Amino acid sequence: MLFKDLPIQKKLMGVIILISGIVLLVTCAAFFTYEVFTFRQTTTRQLSTLGEIIATNSTAALVFDDQKNANEILAALKAERHITLAGLYNKEGKLFAQYPAATLPGAFPPLPGKEGYRFENSYLLGFQPVTQGGKHLGTLYLKSDMNAMYERLWLYSGITVLVIIVSFLLAYVLSKALQKRISIPILSLAETAKAISDRQDYSVRATKLSNDELGALTDALNQMLTQIQKQNLEITSFNQQLEQKVTERTNELQLANKELESFTYSVSHDLRAPLRGINSYTKILEEDYVDKLDNDGKKIIEVILRSSKRMGELIDDLLAFSRLGRKEVTRNDIHMDALVKGVTDDFMLISVKNNIEINIQPLLPAVGDQALVKQVWVNLISNAIKYAGKKTKTLIEIGSYPKENRNVYYVKDNGVGFDMKYYAKLFGVFQRLHSNEEFEGTGVGLAITHRIIQKHHGEVWAESKLNEGATFYFSLQTI
Amino acid sequence: MAILKKITGSFHMALLLVCSTVFLSAQTSVTREYQVKAAFIFNFTQFVEWPENSFSGNQSPLIIGVLGQNPFGSFLEETVLGEKMNGHPLIVKYYNNVEEVKSCHILFVNLPETNKEEEVNAALKGRSILTVSDAPGFMQAGGMIRFFTKNNKIQFQINLEATKYANLVISSKLLRLAEIFTSGKK
Repeated sequence: MLFKDLPIQKKLMGVIILISGIVLLVTCAAFFTYEVFTFRQTTTRQLSTLGEIIATNSTAALVFDDQKNANEILAALKAERHITLAGLYNKEGKLFAQYPAATLPGAFPPLPGKEGYRFENSYLLGFQPVTQGGKHLGTLYLKSDMNAMYERLWLYSGITVLVIIVSFLLAYVLSKALQKRISIPILSLAETAKAISDRQDYSVRATKLSNDELGALTDALNQMLTQIQKQNLEITSFNQQLEQKVTERTNELQLANKELESFTYSVSHDLRAPLRGINSYTKILEEDYVDKLDNDGKKIIEVILRSSKRMGELIDDLLAFSRLGRKEVTRNDIHMDALVKGVTDDFMLISVKNNIEINIQPLLPAVGDQALVKQVWVNLISNAIKYAGKKTKTLIEIGSYPKENRNVYYVKDNGVGFDMKYYAKLFGVFQRLHSNEEFEGTGVGLAITHRIIQKHHGEVWAESKLNEGATFYFSLQTI
Repeated sequence: MAILKKITGSFHMALLLVCSTVFLSAQTSVTREYQVKAAFIFNFTQFVEWPENSFSGNQSPLIIGVLGQNPFGSFLEETVLGEKMNGHPLIVKYYNNVEEVKSCHILFVNLPETNKEEEVNAALKGRSILTVSDAPGFMQAGGMIRFFTKNNKIQFQINLEATKYANLVISSKLLRLAEIFTSGKK
């Protein structure tokens, strides 16, 4: 785990322990170095003092050439167990006396060296001149091992390790206790923030535990929460107001719609009675008074009959359209293949044209009101046949494909098509892109189609180019 | 002998010993013995303190006297030539009888007649003169230092009562090498 990913408590403790560890190590290293340095100095001074004493004591033995006595003097070094070798040279530079007595003379330097002490291969050795009244009488050679220093250093190492362990433990315990003063306010703040974001409860407030930067942060967080709470309240009240307005408007609209529908219905219904009168009396006129009418009269009667028939159709369509507004949509599984097959078969039977080819792809099933969806297919297929134009062969393709969570169905023809700049009028009631003379129709079919699909929460749209056919699409919910 | 003098004038005593061995090889072993004794006598000056009043001044000489027959030849003179003790130059004087001894610091007593030593010591009693001799009865006669040969090595005895009486301070270093003589009176 990387340091930056550690919890803040561990980070704080880690930093404290690391710092105290480094400080301890540096201190111990300095102490150690100082100790080695001082010990070497002290040892040198002690050995040189000892050398001076021995040298002073051995003057008489040297001048009176008393080897036995000189050996005795050196033997006193036994008391200093770190002295491994001592030798007394006479003024000719010959070894005169030695300690320990059994040492081979080869262990000593053949000639006395330069005055002074030095460290050599973990030994401290040196030469001390022996003088009496300013006269050089000989040289003393001393060799001391550094075991005393190593023993001491080992002891110090032990103490140091102990101190480091104890200090580490102390640092651990103290940091564990003291880090809480920093980490607890942070953790409580983090917990509060988490609780707020988890429960989306902006009424929670963080507790201020200190007056430092964390305290300031707590204050800032609490202020922010107050603001959010205030704004939330405002948003909620706005929403409520809006919803209320929408409901009001919807109710108003529904009422207006209903009024309009009942008006349309009653108008269309009421228009039928006089129309029936016109129609029946004109038919009587045609049948009973045909001999009394000249050719112009007969033509006029034909026009009246055609017009009243057309008006009847308009009223029927209008009624169908207005009924649609009130009708509840049922929701059943629809087997599109069978449905479309039935519709096209009917058309092929009644069609006066015989150069029609309808190509039906396998169709996806959908959910909806079977009767209404059938009406959609009837409208779209009849349109395709109607607007085939003067082509020698009318080609109609019917198919479907899934798109997002809907199924899209289409009817494609190679007919006259339409200009896309009039697209906006395409699905409007009584809106026609072609004259009645060119193609018969009331202009209600696509409006009904649009209405039905809308009631199914689907969409209807079209693509076309003038004289290059048109494709009508609608989408329905999948099963 | 001229060459010898030149050498001893500037060289160490030990070198002199070696040289003398070369040049004086014809001489008897008695002379060799006295060469060492001469060196010892000189070395005594380094380990003995005389009272201040035994010197007439800071530069006045420390006198080494030889009473009676001189066994050193010129050797003693050559040994102390140019040497000093605390700034006092060392000189050698020869005496025939004890009455001639006036200002003196070390006196080597070498009288042919026996039993003369007691006389000499009695005569010098109370004066700060370190008396030295080979004579066997010298210590009993109140002498201070006596040479003797043991294991073929020249050694010496010291009579501390006598030196104390004479106001002489013998260095402990010298005492360490010496055999301490105590009179039978104790």
